[in-house]
Amino acid sequence: MNFSAGRRTFLRNTLIGMLLAPATAAARRRYAYPVDRNVLRPPGAVTEEHFAGTCIRCGRCVEVCPYLCIEPLDIRNGVNAGTPIIRVETIPCYLCMKCVDVCPTGALQRVSQKETRMGMAVIDRHTCLSWDKKILCRTCYSVCPFMDKAIHLEDFKPVVDEEHCTGCGICTHACPVTREQGGKAINIEAVYAREFTLPEPASAAGGGV
Amino acid sequence: MKWLHQRSWSFWRLSVQTASFALLVSIPLLNFYLKFHFIQGWYQSISFGDLWFVSPLEGLERILVTRDIYGPLLVGMLIPVTLALLCGRVFCGWICPIHYLSDLSDRLKGIFTRSSKSRDRWLLPRQILWFALIGELLLSLIVGAPIFVFMSPPGLVGREMMRLVFFHTLALEALIVLGVLGMNLITRRFYCRYLCPLGALLALLGRKRRLRVVLNPHTCVHCGKCDASCPLGLEPQQGESEHSHCWNCGTCIDICPEQSLSYMWHTPLSNHYPIAGSLKDTRGSK
Repeated sequence: MNFSAGRRTFLRNTLIGMLLAPATAAARRRYAYPVDRNVLRPPGAVTEEHFAGTCIRCGRCVEVCPYLCIEPLDIRNGVNAGTPIIRVETIPCYLCMKCVDVCPTGALQRVSQKETRMGMAVIDRHTCLSWDKKILCRTCYSVCPFMDKAIHLEDFKPVVDEEHCTGCGICTHACPVTREQGGKAINIEAVYAREFTLPEPASAAGGGV
Repeated sequence: MKWLHQRSWSFWRLSVQTASFALLVSIPLLNFYLKFHFIQGWYQSISFGDLWFVSPLEGLERILVTRDIYGPLLVGMLIPVTLALLCGRVFCGWICPIHYLSDLSDRLKGIFTRSSKSRDRWLLPRQILWFALIGELLLSLIVGAPIFVFMSPPGLVGREMMRLVFFHTLALEALIVLGVLGMNLITRRFYCRYLCPLGALLALLGRKRRLRVVLNPHTCVHCGKCDASCPLGLEPQQGESEHSHCWNCGTCIDICPEQSLSYMWHTPLSNHYPIAGSLKDTRGSK
């Protein structure tokens, strides 16, 4: 029984682990996907798993964007330094589709406006004026580029249709409510960041039901 | 026209470098203020209308990391790769903004200190350049992200220009550029000589290049001025101007008092100076 050696190994490993814990945490942050609620990739982006490897940080999407909504990340984002990001609360994407045409590496795949899936608008019914306060606010409905498709009204309350929402964030930008915990009453969740699948066409989905 | 013919290669090189740098500065300005998108990007990917260029190393890394071949990317890499195959590291010598800024700082230093002493304080084996390329590619594959593309100094110069014009800020990465320029204090073009993976890839492609600086052994007087002038620390007097590391900048051609060095279009069968095979002999007798 070499107990002391075992304890020594245990202590040493614990010490190493304690020393390395911040390093691994930092490393994880370097690897973390920068995409989050209301922080999205430009249209047609490949999944986050592939984006950092596919994008060559040439910044041409940033330069071509007429609304200046795309900005490059900096070195604090680790391996994602230089990749493009859209903060829809500040400036949303107006789906002009210029960035997808200039990408030389296929990090932004060519998609049409309708097929764009940057994220999905989700209404917070606890803070939305129409749902919570029974006020006739239809801001998101009015500004949506796919009016009556992506956002339609049910009993004068906005409802998002997952099938048509492109996640452009114009509704988020326009929403008059700013929540205490950050974000608006309608937020774009980056649901396609990990897996990108186009929803079934409307006719096929309707036929199945 | 006579005036043009009398210009040295350094003059032409500086003109091309200045034009390239002016392009780098003017592209964001044109894009931002005039919404003129005919020219776009910087030396990671630059476009003139529908003519797109993609930097070879960036494209290679992207293909290696994603294990996926993308047609437009290969087409964009075609012209830079062809240029490197024919002319070697001319991008480094004639276009790269890092070399340009180093060149400018050298000239400034020359004006203020009036000393033309060689400042190569720390010399390493030249083969380190290849290991830089291999290590960088391996690191990219391990990390799963192209390392060079977000820390490449020539690309960073362009990106910082863009950031300055578009967002009126600079990012922390500018420190990398400053660090690379600071390495010049240790050894001239320390980064270009030993560390730049892009330069290594271009040198690798240009191993059998056509455009070379060739020494005429009949007229060489072994004064050694070319050896002292070479920013990469090569020794043209020993025939090292045909080494794969040479970036065809033409500094040695200008400095040579006997005009023994000149650009040559080298083909596998060409023998510019019939007894060039006896170069070894001249080396021995020196």
